[in-house]
Amino acid sequence: MRYAFFPGCTLESAAEELMISTKKVAAALGIELIELNGWTCCGASHIQDVDDFLATSINARNISLAEELKVDKLLTVCNTCTLMLRTAKLKMDKNEKLRTKVNEGLNRSGMEYKGSVEVTHLLWALIQDYGLDNLKKLVKRPLTGLKVANFYGCHILMPPNVMGFENHMNPQSMEMVAEVLGAESVDFEQRLACCGFHAVFPAEKEVMNLTGKNCLSPKAAGADCLVTPCPLCQMQLDAYQPDAQKAFKEDITMPVLHLPQLIGLALGFSPEELAIQRHVVDAIPALKETLQLQTV
Amino acid sequence: MYSTLYIKIRRFDGKKEWYQGYHLPYEKGRTVLWALTTIREQMDPTLVFTSACRHAICGSCAVTINGNAFLACKTSLDEVLETFQTPHLTFEPLKNFEVIKDLAIEWEPKMEKMEKVKPWLLPAEDGSKELGFKQSEEDYHQIAAPTDCILCGVCTSECNQLAVNDGTYLDPFILNRAYRFAVDSRDGSPEQHIQPVFENELWKCLHCMQCVSKCPKGIPLTEQIAYLRQESIRMGEVNNQGARHAFAFHDDVRSKGRLNEMTLPIKTDGLVNTAMRKVPFALRMIKKGKINPFHMPKAVEGIKGVREIYQYAKEVGE
Repeated sequence: MRYAFFPGCTLESAAEELMISTKKVAAALGIELIELNGWTCCGASHIQDVDDFLATSINARNISLAEELKVDKLLTVCNTCTLMLRTAKLKMDKNEKLRTKVNEGLNRSGMEYKGSVEVTHLLWALIQDYGLDNLKKLVKRPLTGLKVANFYGCHILMPPNVMGFENHMNPQSMEMVAEVLGAESVDFEQRLACCGFHAVFPAEKEVMNLTGKNCLSPKAAGADCLVTPCPLCQMQLDAYQPDAQKAFKEDITMPVLHLPQLIGLALGFSPEELAIQRHVVDAIPALKETLQLQTV
Repeated sequence: MYSTLYIKIRRFDGKKEWYQGYHLPYEKGRTVLWALTTIREQMDPTLVFTSACRHAICGSCAVTINGNAFLACKTSLDEVLETFQTPHLTFEPLKNFEVIKDLAIEWEPKMEKMEKVKPWLLPAEDGSKELGFKQSEEDYHQIAAPTDCILCGVCTSECNQLAVNDGTYLDPFILNRAYRFAVDSRDGSPEQHIQPVFENELWKCLHCMQCVSKCPKGIPLTEQIAYLRQESIRMGEVNNQGARHAFAFHDDVRSKGRLNEMTLPIKTDGLVNTAMRKVPFALRMIKKGKINPFHMPKAVEGIKGVREIYQYAKEVGE
């Protein structure tokens, strides 16, 4: 299996552990990821607030880079990157006038958006293309006893006319993956909540309040950790957790894993190989205790 | 399919709140409003909810089911059952509204709040209420989607910012109303609708996409928010966290192709505020190797083409 790969900006710095764990997991599963040469930031749900035509154009360029690789799909591991790329694609594919106009800008550097590549997310690709049965066969260390709280994040679900992989009001994909890995998914109030990351600067107080709720809810449900398919949700819930703690009397501590890290654990990698030690809230003690891992 | 549904409704009598369950025989092809009406007519005449037109035009019958807002008359009960995969449904009043009784909510404070954006036409000079206006088909289409709003409150109920806000932030339907007049070719003072939107925390929208996903009329609410932000920038409102944050992304992509996470807080909050408020955050990020203060990102391959796209967007935008 071969995908064009769009890492997104966070994978180069703040969420480098997601780059590490994604590459490890992809290699172990036999999935070839070809990183786009010259990809740019997707706009992160901000650039359209300055210029929406520009936001569409830069993502049409990103998609056209994948088209040049002659692959069927462009794969991401970030909810917001997926949404931004798919939004641009939908606009380009259904509006010929816009497509001609955007392509005029791309043509200046000899590029063209053709519309031949689909945009997908690792979570979807595992279910749709790879097959969970095949994933299950490679599980070396079933995550028996690990209680995970699946935090989907908004942009992998909504808006449904752009995303539409599953019902946005009752998605099951994360639970399906957790199940084949042997982990137990807990139900919790904030499962489909917003992490608030995109407004953490202008709405700091409100977003910290959300972060606290998003940690307390899985805690009340008895989860050992949160798991998310989005590095922005992960950053908001993990790196800002000490800031959010200040607004709460009760202890909100809740480790937060990236989805490929959870998969990697089941495939037999150590937490360190998956760079779990890079998280602000230490997830390793809880993992080692539950999964009875040997200390490195 | 199920033979009986168990519908649990959150009741409120003005003082106390409780949940009451009803066993409703399942019937194929019914609406959510049918379920409510059947419960009231055949099981419990004390149940209070509002409804009128039954044709998704009066906007009075929205409720939440298992936490999600729906317009009861427009929603197929079968679709709800298919979505939640259970015959156990919990009905509650819309979120982010004051509750009067059971499922009935209070609209008056919302209407007062809406007045902030002057939700009426401020006539342009080329027409008047006596003479009327000429409007092109294209101009009419600008207001076609926003005038579809039926004030049902679904967007308010789903808004994640309103859920944690002190009440200043404007409900999505209010933003829609401001947009509706700001883009109306007959309106001569769009800034009078946009300025109050900007002043009431426009940049606090979390981009969660709930409003646009749940609106029973399919109004592109999030694109409207982007438009209102663009216009506030055009009106000169650039010296705020929201606009500076958006420009940080916009400018970084032009300069290198990618975001510089190291300089982002400084560009958004300024050096002084960043130094005062973000130091503990920065230190913990550095400690975990999540920020490398010495890393200077290189421009991506093909950056010249990226800048040409910027130049082109500027040319066609003018």
